[in-house]
Amino acid sequence: MIDIWTKRVSAMFRLAACLMVVLFTLSSCNQRNGSQGVVVKRGGAMDSTLVIAMLGDADYLNPVLGSTVTSGNIIGLIYPSLLQSEFDTTTGLLNYMALEKKLREVTPGHGKKDPKGALAKSWKMSADQQSITYILRNDAFWNDGKRVVSGDFKFSYQLYGNPVIASARQQYLAELIGADKGKVDFDRAILTPDDTTLVFKFYKPVPEHLALYHTSLTPLPAHQWKKVKPDEFRQSPLNLQPLGAGPYKLKSWQQQQEIVLASSRSSNLPKPGTIPLITFRVVPDYTVRLTQLQTGAVDVVENIKPEDFTPLLKANRQIEIKTVGLRVYDYVGWSNIDQNEYHKSGKVRPHPLFGSARVRLALTEAIDREAIIDGYLKEYGVICNTDISPSLKWACNERLVPHSFDPAGATALLREEGWLPGPDGILQKQGRKFSFVLYTNAGNARRNYASIIIQQNLRSIGIDCKLEVQESNVFFESLQQRKLDAWMAGWSIGLEIDPLDVWGSDLKKSRFNFTGYQNPRIDALCELAKQKMEPTGARAYWLEYQEILHRDQPITFLYWIKETQGFSRRIEAEELNISGTFYNIDDWRLRPSANVAL
Amino acid sequence: MLIYIFKRLLIAVPLVFGVLTLTFFIIRLAPGDPAAFFIQPGISPNVAEQIRAQYGLNDPVPVQYVKWLANVLQGDFGRSFSRAQQPVFDVIAEALPITVTIAGLTLVANFTFGILVGIVSAVRQNTFLDRFLTVTALFFYSMPEFWFALMMIILFALKFPLFPASGLNEIGSEGFGPVGFVLDRLWHLVLPVTVLSINGAAGIARYVRGSMLEVIRQDYIRTARAKGLPEKVVIFKHALRNALLPVITLMGSSLPFIFSGALFIEVIFAFPGMGRVTVEAIFARDYPLIIANTFVSGSLIVLGNLFADVLYAVADPRIKL
Repeated sequence: MIDIWTKRVSAMFRLAACLMVVLFTLSSCNQRNGSQGVVVKRGGAMDSTLVIAMLGDADYLNPVLGSTVTSGNIIGLIYPSLLQSEFDTTTGLLNYMALEKKLREVTPGHGKKDPKGALAKSWKMSADQQSITYILRNDAFWNDGKRVVSGDFKFSYQLYGNPVIASARQQYLAELIGADKGKVDFDRAILTPDDTTLVFKFYKPVPEHLALYHTSLTPLPAHQWKKVKPDEFRQSPLNLQPLGAGPYKLKSWQQQQEIVLASSRSSNLPKPGTIPLITFRVVPDYTVRLTQLQTGAVDVVENIKPEDFTPLLKANRQIEIKTVGLRVYDYVGWSNIDQNEYHKSGKVRPHPLFGSARVRLALTEAIDREAIIDGYLKEYGVICNTDISPSLKWACNERLVPHSFDPAGATALLREEGWLPGPDGILQKQGRKFSFVLYTNAGNARRNYASIIIQQNLRSIGIDCKLEVQESNVFFESLQQRKLDAWMAGWSIGLEIDPLDVWGSDLKKSRFNFTGYQNPRIDALCELAKQKMEPTGARAYWLEYQEILHRDQPITFLYWIKETQGFSRRIEAEELNISGTFYNIDDWRLRPSANVAL
Repeated sequence: MLIYIFKRLLIAVPLVFGVLTLTFFIIRLAPGDPAAFFIQPGISPNVAEQIRAQYGLNDPVPVQYVKWLANVLQGDFGRSFSRAQQPVFDVIAEALPITVTIAGLTLVANFTFGILVGIVSAVRQNTFLDRFLTVTALFFYSMPEFWFALMMIILFALKFPLFPASGLNEIGSEGFGPVGFVLDRLWHLVLPVTVLSINGAAGIARYVRGSMLEVIRQDYIRTARAKGLPEKVVIFKHALRNALLPVITLMGSSLPFIFSGALFIEVIFAFPGMGRVTVEAIFARDYPLIIANTFVSGSLIVLGNLFADVLYAVADPRIKL
């Protein structure tokens, strides 16, 4: 009997060994070892293919509907754009370019976008700032050979503005004629006297840079889409076959797996993509994305955590970490008003714990923001004073001195406000303990780390801070309904400064003013800044705005985060800035595998 | 037996509808909003309202239920909120073949290795081999799948780069030819199937060992040996058939797994199977897709139990249905 089992077991091992040999041979066919103990999978198809790992798939490859970051990146490569935009890193201003015209001159060497990608030859803003006229080039063609004409824009704007289609970009139409009355009058708002002339008319004077921003939405080919009814628009099979005119066209889309783009040989907007194929691969798990970057299976992975830099770079010298500008910040939100009272009676009363600006200042001084940066973000974090990014140099108030970590000062401030230590060491005022729950969303290691430091910092001055993590959907809903007293979250800012949604005193209108902060001067400054026809003309308003926020501390601004992206060194000519990681992806080049030094 | 099966299927109809109705109300009671993605600065507040109107979420919940029921009775489970408004069964149809491939391979490996290890352990009870297999099985059985998967990736995709860490095929695999493409697919399936089957086989091995130990102590096994039958015949013909009865229950309960997918494994290895569809649908509050997945899983649990009962009768002539 023993013989039978011995034979069986040994047969199984032999089988397993054979299997391993076969699989090893298979795997070896596609790999070769690098000197750093890392496999770089290159050769054949890989030499002509750039592989980008993505957290999630695109929702739509249709500019009217696409709303995820992945969709935006891909749509930008497939479809034509009216203008090209570039970010001037020396000023922090966005520049818009047509073929023969620029909004402003960019410091040499700090823009790097080719205006040949623009469909517009030039534009002219009317003297009253209430209309803008574009002259389009006549040599741009959709991939099916039809010419791109002004009618495509008018047709597309009607789609963007159709409530049945519910485009996330309908806000861009907010200045067009009729929008003030609730419905854009497209017959009057967008005129197309001929195929190369496109006129947008506004109901009020609009600054030129805003007009350019809002009128340069991506067009769809009208001849392809005109027969699709609005209520069938989201379900149309055409969404799976995007017809563009940009440097790339869709080669294949295996949903939830990968999107492959091929360089469009016929494109002159500005030219066919330099890299023949770009594959966007969906890899939901962070560890696996990291592994794939390390093994060379993918070339770009976004949002690498700082704690992974050293092992990653040590394991594979062919990887480099690149950063974009400061666009994302974390903060601790304090409810400035008594939310219960506001929900019950609609009356605004100061929050019993966080209602006083001096208390909020004490909380900021009690939190060791430098320790969070040193412990987690290191050189990829910068102390945050307000929500105007240091990357937007034209508007940032550099004279503000960050509130330093000062537990003694914080204690003194709290004492002045009547918060004195109770028998258990926790601060008390009129029988109420300084005790609250700090909420944050699940799955964010950085915020988890910061929240623990914050808890310890506050405990050391006698504040009891309990931590609670909520599932992201639940957390966001609680924030929206203003149910939370204290929370930790983050914002990603836009390149156009428009913070009224977050700080506006009209709490019904300002949907993202979760704190309930109200300051009429902030409202006035935001409105005054909007009225300036040139952004730099509003600089004085933004400086004052930042001083007020710095003084009032409606929230504790923690740190700006330099988003960190992992890149394979075989990518050349990449230019990253606050506009995005894939800012000039159509100009990227791949070094052939033979030239990759290991 | 046919009448029995028919009766069971008839009873299953209200049961599945009950489950779907409960799911319909529970997911709507849960916090979170399917249109939450469209509530952010820079997006008009009208968009979320328009999206909700499109999804029919502005009606009172009882009205939504009646409309939903009317559609379901016509076989229409609706369109996905989060996946470009594809019909939900199209989403499932795309994910199902991937899940069935992984789960099918996993089940074969599970039962093959589980039964073999269980038999060896039982036949060689209290020997070093038995103890080694028992401890090893317990070790793998106790290990969380997601952690084990990550360890396997680190070991076999990073430290010893033998297998790919994710995806179903290599970049440019369409150029490998049909055989190359299949081999490439198999190569990508090695790690996930190994993770799933080691964990599952360990559990099955424990069942089979216990069951075999009980059976080989029975009088009829002693009789078979006394008759002078070869050990191979005693074990495989007389003992195994009886010992496998509890395993049949496991087979029945594995049926939903084949179609509902392995959540963690599909997320970690980036396979767009049913498990990932379900997880993503829950996070996105994609109500129609959640309900359709519940329908698939619920029906399969019912069918799996029925399948196990029928198999019992097939395997054991003493059981009459």
